Amino acid sequence: MPLLASFFLKRLITTIPVLFIVLVGSFLLLEAASGDAVDAYVARSGAMDAEQIAQLRNEWGLDKGPVHRFEAYISALAHGDLGWSTAFERPVTSVIAERLPVTLLLMSIATGSAFFAGSLLGVVAGARPGSWRDRILSTGSLAIYAVPGFWLGLVLIVIFAVDLRWLPIGGIESIASGKTGLARLGDIAVHLVLPVSALAMVYLALYLRLMRDRMAEIWRDPFVKGLEARGLTRRRIVWRHVARNAILPAITMLGWQSAAMLGGSVVVESVFSIPGFGRLAAEAVARRDTPLLLGVLLCSAVTVIIANLLVDLAYGKLDPRVRISR
Amino acid sequence: MKSLNLEARIGATLLVLLTLMALLAPWIAPGDPLAISGEAMLKPFVSEAHLLGTDRLGRDVLAGLVHGTRTTLLVAFFSAATALLVGSVVGTISGFLGGFADTVLMRITEAFQTVPGFLLALATISVTGPSIPTLILAISLGNWTQAARVTRAEVLSLRERDFVAAARTLGMRPMEIAFREILPNAFGPTASLAAISVATAILIEAALSFLGFGDPNRVTWGTMIAEGRTVLRAAPYLSIVPGIALVVTVLSVHLVGRGLSRKERLQS
Amino acid sequence: MTKAYLNVRNLNVSYGSTTAIKDVSLELAKGGRLALIGMSGSGKSTLAMAIAGLLPKQARINGAIEFESRTPKLGSDIGVLFQDASGSLDPVMKIGDQIAEVAMTHLGMGWISARVHAAELLDRVKIPKALSRLNSYPHEFSGGQKQRIALAAALAGNPSILIADEPTSALDTVIQRHIVDVLDELVKDGGLTLLFVTHDIALASERADEIAVLYKGDLVEMAPAGQLLKEPKHPYTKALIDTYVSLEKPRSRRLPEITLEWQ
Repeated sequence: MPLLASFFLKRLITTIPVLFIVLVGSFLLLEAASGDAVDAYVARSGAMDAEQIAQLRNEWGLDKGPVHRFEAYISALAHGDLGWSTAFERPVTSVIAERLPVTLLLMSIATGSAFFAGSLLGVVAGARPGSWRDRILSTGSLAIYAVPGFWLGLVLIVIFAVDLRWLPIGGIESIASGKTGLARLGDIAVHLVLPVSALAMVYLALYLRLMRDRMAEIWRDPFVKGLEARGLTRRRIVWRHVARNAILPAITMLGWQSAAMLGGSVVVESVFSIPGFGRLAAEAVARRDTPLLLGVLLCSAVTVIIANLLVDLAYGKLDPRVRISR
Repeated sequence: MKSLNLEARIGATLLVLLTLMALLAPWIAPGDPLAISGEAMLKPFVSEAHLLGTDRLGRDVLAGLVHGTRTTLLVAFFSAATALLVGSVVGTISGFLGGFADTVLMRITEAFQTVPGFLLALATISVTGPSIPTLILAISLGNWTQAARVTRAEVLSLRERDFVAAARTLGMRPMEIAFREILPNAFGPTASLAAISVATAILIEAALSFLGFGDPNRVTWGTMIAEGRTVLRAAPYLSIVPGIALVVTVLSVHLVGRGLSRKERLQS
Repeated sequence: MTKAYLNVRNLNVSYGSTTAIKDVSLELAKGGRLALIGMSGSGKSTLAMAIAGLLPKQARINGAIEFESRTPKLGSDIGVLFQDASGSLDPVMKIGDQIAEVAMTHLGMGWISARVHAAELLDRVKIPKALSRLNSYPHEFSGGQKQRIALAAALAGNPSILIADEPTSALDTVIQRHIVDVLDELVKDGGLTLLFVTHDIALASERADEIAVLYKGDLVEMAPAGQLLKEPKHPYTKALIDTYVSLEKPRSRRLPEITLEWQ
């Protein structure tokens, strides 16, 4: 489909300046940090004389001005090199590549279930705005919306892991269980139940509200009266028409939600001791690993951009009015 | 106040109580909330001196809760205000100038939206070190984009209105028109974002201090939750109680915000 | 004398303390064309919607609305067409599906036959290349075409009466004529009974067998179209005809002046 390809290409081109600004911004932010990667390295590795330090600075291109450092960073980046993680003593790329899949898995399951359950409950509430069902769900979603994910995680641990002992307290899989194949998959699934719930709950409430509010608006749209006049069943009007129209803003939300959820994964992964990308961010800050932090920022920006691109594509498929206007 | 619905009035009442608690903290719970004040790990509602019990070091939970309100509200209020101010100024300039300046500002806004707000705050704190002003700065950095977008959209629609044309014919300078005529009018919809900004700021501050990146010299609800986590099995209430305070605060902010935006919808 | 298809007796409709319809009685024969005419606020639309059973919940209704068939159902007995065409079509559903779902609901048709039915209806309302346009969306059509699609959807359940509320007021005169012609054809060939609301007395006199004039909620006069136009009994009807005549004449004189202004 050439139309789709050109649309994709156009969107991709508009993201380049955005990505560049992110790059410059995070570089400036970290330039402002006191001490550079060499200081951190020396602090960790212990004794090093001034000459060795100077040599290392020269090697890492840190002895020149900030513009040079930026150029060096960009040219390394162009080769897929994000620099050297001082905390892990490995390339940043390999550290991130190791941690990202877990978080992406966690996030996609959390997003999927929040979107599915949230919009489903949103339809139940929005089918009859003002009914008791709507009131209970709307107020409930507002309450859930106020619950911080990390605290919810702790409460879930207290209930389901400590008291009831139904689910594991943390980690991504049982250590040294020797499980393979389906058994391992099942083990991971069991470990994911609580962190996914902690991460997803807020967004479930968000999609519920979004869906419900949009449906309440659509009921006032004159076309609904037209559908009623044609004698369609209420069930059909609710699901095939009102809900179908209301899902569109929820779809757009999916892209930006990925940014917020990536932020949320930092705390939730810390609560459940999951070795993911989010906890990596916290570790990078705690261990003053500047190159790693820069890599984390860039990588999350790329993830969010990709998520938004995918959402745009899906939106174009779901809203026929978009296709023509582009 | 009278024109607000019941939910919003409950929220407003709670917020007033919380603010009073924050202001009167030194009188409600005198002394340093970080000081050891009694036996360690007392359960809630057992001792009259320690109504909500004590933590694993023997610090009073209620005192921590009361003093924690200060940090929470201080950071939340100022970072939301900063975010709204920066956002509406950027949005006004962007929407009013249009053209290249608009493109550049909107790309910058987009770039800020692309980096998760929490990670941005985390990175900023790692550079500046944790203190109240840096926390405020760090949190507002990831929180102003929405206000910029909303203000810009509002300005774009206001720009063509009569009073702006009138100001032009009167010979006002463009920036003067933007900030004296347009910004005040565009501020209404932006202000309805205030509740969301405040709530976001509270949650980010709590998460930062939970991870240990908050101001180490102050009691916060986030650090209390983190402290309690170390004895989660023996004394889950140490984490649960400050969390409830967080939920109640954020919920009342949302209730007020919803009431205000509904009121605005009805008026327009 | 055939039994009336529709029989309205002593109908009152009120919203709170304001009365929209006062003690209205009228009859409509099968295959007849009745125009409800009046100014905005005369209650003509309220009367039409009351007959369709589409008044909002707050409306208090007194009196009887009787059909030949005991309890008429929307969609399968009564078809309704509104003024705003885009306002009666779902913007994100293919028009073929929107017509077909009515047929599937009321005629128990399967997926394929419902779509064949939809194509036939689109053909009948003069949408060109009907079959190939089943998969198009409402925004891909012009205003007049949308109104015809809405008409096809209103007729998809094979209703015996069509209630049209100002079906052409939002459209320009040429397109208006096309739609009115389609409606005429449906009445003649399909045995449809037509009740339409309009403020346009010219349209009413041309296309209705009978005209009912409403004024502030009262049915002030109802007569065969020719007779009403020739010898109006009620002063309001006279005034209505006069304004129509006086409006019609200067308009033709005014037009060139407007064209001059454009240049």
